[in-house]
Amino acid sequence: MRAYQERYIENIKEIDALRNIFTHAHASFPEWQESRIRARERMRLLKEENLALLFDNLFPALDCLHEAGEEELSSLAEFAEALMDGSTNLDCGIYILIHDALLSLARFHRDVDGTIRELYKLGMGLYYQNRSVIGVENETANSLRFQDEMAFTEAGSYIRFFEEFGNDETKGYIIRSLANIAVSTKNTRKRIATSARVLEIVQDKAYRACAPSLPWDRFLRMTYQQMSSNRHIMSKGDLSKEELSEVLFACQVVFQPEADNDKPNVRWLWPYYEMEYSCGFVDLKTTLLRMEKLISRAKFDEYDPSGLYANVQLPIYYGKLMAENPELQKKPRHVYFLREAYQKMMRTLLTYPVEALNDYLMYYVNLVVTDYLEIEGVASYREVTACLMQRYTGEQYVTSCLVGEAASLICRAIISEDAHFFDDIPFIKECPEEEKEKRLMDYARDCGIYHDFGLLKLNMSRFLWMRTMFEQEERIYQLHTLCASEDLRERPSTAHFADIALGHHRWYNGSGGYPESYERNRSPYRQMTDVIALSDALCGYYEGDIKEAAEKVQKLSHKQFSPMAAASLSDEALLKELEALMQKGPSSIYREIYDSIHGITL
Amino acid sequence: MNTQDTRDNNRIAQLEERVQRAQDALAAQETFLSNMSHDIRTPMNAIVGMTALAKKHIDEKARVMDALNKIEVASTHLLSLINEVLDISRINSGRLSIGEELFSLGDMLHDILIIIRPQMEGKGHHFTFSVGEVFAEDLHGDPLRLRQIFVNIINNAVKYTPDGGEISVRVSVEPPEEEAGKRAFLLFTCRDNGIGMSEEFLKKLFVPFERDASVAASGIEGTGLGMGIVKSLVEAMSGTIQVESRLGEGTGVTIRVPLRFEEAGSHTGELWGKRLLILEGSREQQDIYRQYLGEAGIAFETAPSMPEALAMLTDAQLHEKSFDGIILGADTGDANCLEIAAYLHKAYPALPLVLASEADWEKIEYRAGRCGIHTFIPVPFFRKSLLRGLDEALSQKSTAGTFGSAPDFSGRHILLAEDNLINREIACEILGSTNAEIDTAEDGKQALDLYLSKPEGYYDLVLMDVQMPVMDGYEATKAIRESGRSDAMPIRIFAMTANTFAEDIARARAAGMNGHIAKPIDISKLMQMLRQIL
Repeated sequence: MRAYQERYIENIKEIDALRNIFTHAHASFPEWQESRIRARERMRLLKEENLALLFDNLFPALDCLHEAGEEELSSLAEFAEALMDGSTNLDCGIYILIHDALLSLARFHRDVDGTIRELYKLGMGLYYQNRSVIGVENETANSLRFQDEMAFTEAGSYIRFFEEFGNDETKGYIIRSLANIAVSTKNTRKRIATSARVLEIVQDKAYRACAPSLPWDRFLRMTYQQMSSNRHIMSKGDLSKEELSEVLFACQVVFQPEADNDKPNVRWLWPYYEMEYSCGFVDLKTTLLRMEKLISRAKFDEYDPSGLYANVQLPIYYGKLMAENPELQKKPRHVYFLREAYQKMMRTLLTYPVEALNDYLMYYVNLVVTDYLEIEGVASYREVTACLMQRYTGEQYVTSCLVGEAASLICRAIISEDAHFFDDIPFIKECPEEEKEKRLMDYARDCGIYHDFGLLKLNMSRFLWMRTMFEQEERIYQLHTLCASEDLRERPSTAHFADIALGHHRWYNGSGGYPESYERNRSPYRQMTDVIALSDALCGYYEGDIKEAAEKVQKLSHKQFSPMAAASLSDEALLKELEALMQKGPSSIYREIYDSIHGITL
Repeated sequence: MNTQDTRDNNRIAQLEERVQRAQDALAAQETFLSNMSHDIRTPMNAIVGMTALAKKHIDEKARVMDALNKIEVASTHLLSLINEVLDISRINSGRLSIGEELFSLGDMLHDILIIIRPQMEGKGHHFTFSVGEVFAEDLHGDPLRLRQIFVNIINNAVKYTPDGGEISVRVSVEPPEEEAGKRAFLLFTCRDNGIGMSEEFLKKLFVPFERDASVAASGIEGTGLGMGIVKSLVEAMSGTIQVESRLGEGTGVTIRVPLRFEEAGSHTGELWGKRLLILEGSREQQDIYRQYLGEAGIAFETAPSMPEALAMLTDAQLHEKSFDGIILGADTGDANCLEIAAYLHKAYPALPLVLASEADWEKIEYRAGRCGIHTFIPVPFFRKSLLRGLDEALSQKSTAGTFGSAPDFSGRHILLAEDNLINREIACEILGSTNAEIDTAEDGKQALDLYLSKPEGYYDLVLMDVQMPVMDGYEATKAIRESGRSDAMPIRIFAMTANTFAEDIARARAAGMNGHIAKPIDISKLMQMLRQIL
């Protein structure tokens, strides 16, 4: 690798470590606070350096790719592999950028082997990049997912000419691409059909003889594992006999080695149990007992794939079964078990070592955010997600707190002028007059904390510290508003933050921003959304002079920002308070966060 | 009874019948007036109420915008209502005239499908559209009135069929009945399995203002004018209309209109021997391609899905059997055709992409351009329009540079004659976004003077209001055409008028105008027209 490439990777690793506000949390508050201030400054410098490394080295190299020699090309490929190896995703965007460029080069030179290899690599990069939007149903998400499916489809389409390639490595990419169509497509039937076809191919002696050096048995095992992942749709009743038998058999194949193992991998043991339940071979009670046993057996600090599956995936699935069978929610035994399982799950997620952070873990965080069951007797969604934001969005959470703090000051100034300004919000209207101001300011603080909640699910907050985003990443980033509003709205403890998360990037007059689905006039929370949007911008614009920042906001009044909210920034007393808050910056809220971290039972 | 008595009795009977008819007509008219006053008041309430609301919240742009949107919807509804009443009035006074211009059947059907699809989907109807034998695809007639007729019939099917019903439309063009006949027959059939009509009502179907009492009571909106207008229009075109219906079983409407036609040419330009890849999942569409492309000597391979298409492209790449272009058809499976286009454009940038789709081009034009679509062929298409589109795409007459809402017409000069200040400002604002240079005149005389004061060939386009003081648009146009300058005849002059009746359009043409733009100006239509002209 080139020196700039190594430096870039070191910087990203350092940023990932610095973002974690749990680092040094056992130190005293002043020491921790000091370390956080240093961390923020250091991250700012690292981001600047990273951008310079890209602009001065990588981008010129990609611009002149046609003139690049073998050494340059292999250094780029090596750099890309170091950025993303399938489990550790240091910088998927740069990985995609490099392989996209290499693909163009291969196509240009009509290098079919190179084209197939780069299609596979590009498909992998896009798949990992788009993994965070799995489950999100909208045009943008579908469009993003389509890209990796097509890259794999194009590379896999060379299977018809398998024998014509002399290079086993290329043949391996063709098989793996074909298999990955099943991973990337959202069409269930296509998934099953693709896996079935790959199973036929990898067991076909002719294919094996044609490329003897390929790890055929590994391909076979992985394809069965992939096929077994379709078990969750078995109970929906829309699979044919053939499809059902394919999935059933795969579950059996995957299960067998684990059943004979003293310490089975829960990840491959569970599909069989789930399949038995989906097919009605065992009842709900037995399934819950099996699950309880597997969850209880795992220790919270088992961070390997089996441990994570038992500690995170199974509790979430337990909750899903309780959601599907509401009578279970009335049975203290199950509620008690769920509470304990969720607590252990959180302990696993909050203590997960920062140096081992990987993409797989972020998938589990996404799972918790999406499927957590909020019922009486278990920790609220709000408590759980606040901990996860602190742990996984790190300093971004601190910035959100600052936005909330500024918003609460603005709200106070507004209601001092017009006591009923926020009365469209039902619980504010119903609030006794003497409590209204405090209730409103608390609500504004919480709205600030939750306005960027979607970044947690999409694992996008790290980009804000790492480098500027590519267009594709920006498209994913923008989904944070939609993702957050859906998840927050579903749970009573967070439902009143949903509109704020949805609408804070949409312009006041509806002429710009995103998402278009936010209809300001229909939202009873619109005034608070307006304030959070304004506060968010004010914090962003602040560069040492609050009046300048306020002027910038006011220039966009009526268009991007609410005129009523923007008018509040003419209040000198408010500007003084905001100036004081901004000057202290995150320091003003570190104490609260420090206490909050220490309040988490680990 | 003597002869005189018999004659008197007959007279009395006739008079009684006339009185009864007059009373029926009066009753129908009263019901109509009562319905109309309700139908007019409803959107008017919205307009008045929303205007007041917008004024009250004038500082809240978002709320004002919401109110304006609602006013726009209500105004459009009101306008269509008024148009129907005006049509009836013109029919009753014998002033109905039918225009005649060359039009493409495919384009007209495409427009109809765009209009009716959302309503079909809104009510969950299963809609089948099929095209039979098409003897000629370029016809002479009044496409706007034909569209009005067909949309009206289909709208009735949508309205009077309970949700989730079956509606089918079939269109064909039959050859002239005599060998040397000059008119082909456009045949349109629409069938539904809706509520149908009683025999009694069927007799009064075309009587203006009549509505089936049970239907009116059920709250289905309507004025009882539509079918009367349709019949009058069909008859004015020397066509026929037949309606069959049974209560509770459904209705079938068949319309047959004679139209002059253009002979189909056999020229296929540079397309002979070209090789195309067609991504099309629909078997019916595949058959259509097979027929038209086969006749034109164009080789092609059909892929029913994107994976198949990619396999064919990789095969072509491996074995050097290159394609000359790709057609993305109406059925591209699960995948969105624009996503597919974006991928193919990136992977195979040298291959022209043609989109053949039912989609509303105006709505997708910008995105399609960004996704690399070179040419759009509206579906349904026929031989000529398909080959014309392919010829354009394959000869690289790309329209890629014209995507986007405001094209760049820097260096072009437009003369705008309009006496109304606001209209002038609006038109200037729209035209100004294209970077074209605009000169304005407040009447026809000023326009003529400006035209004469500039060097020959200076103006690329004249937009001429029709009704203006001092000198009207017709006179000004005539004077320009008769000025004897070298650019007097080639210069394009378009009328800008809210009056879009056929005879007035004919008058504009007679005065030497090339066409017209309806007022109020629709930005996208104006842009489309500017792209075509400039």
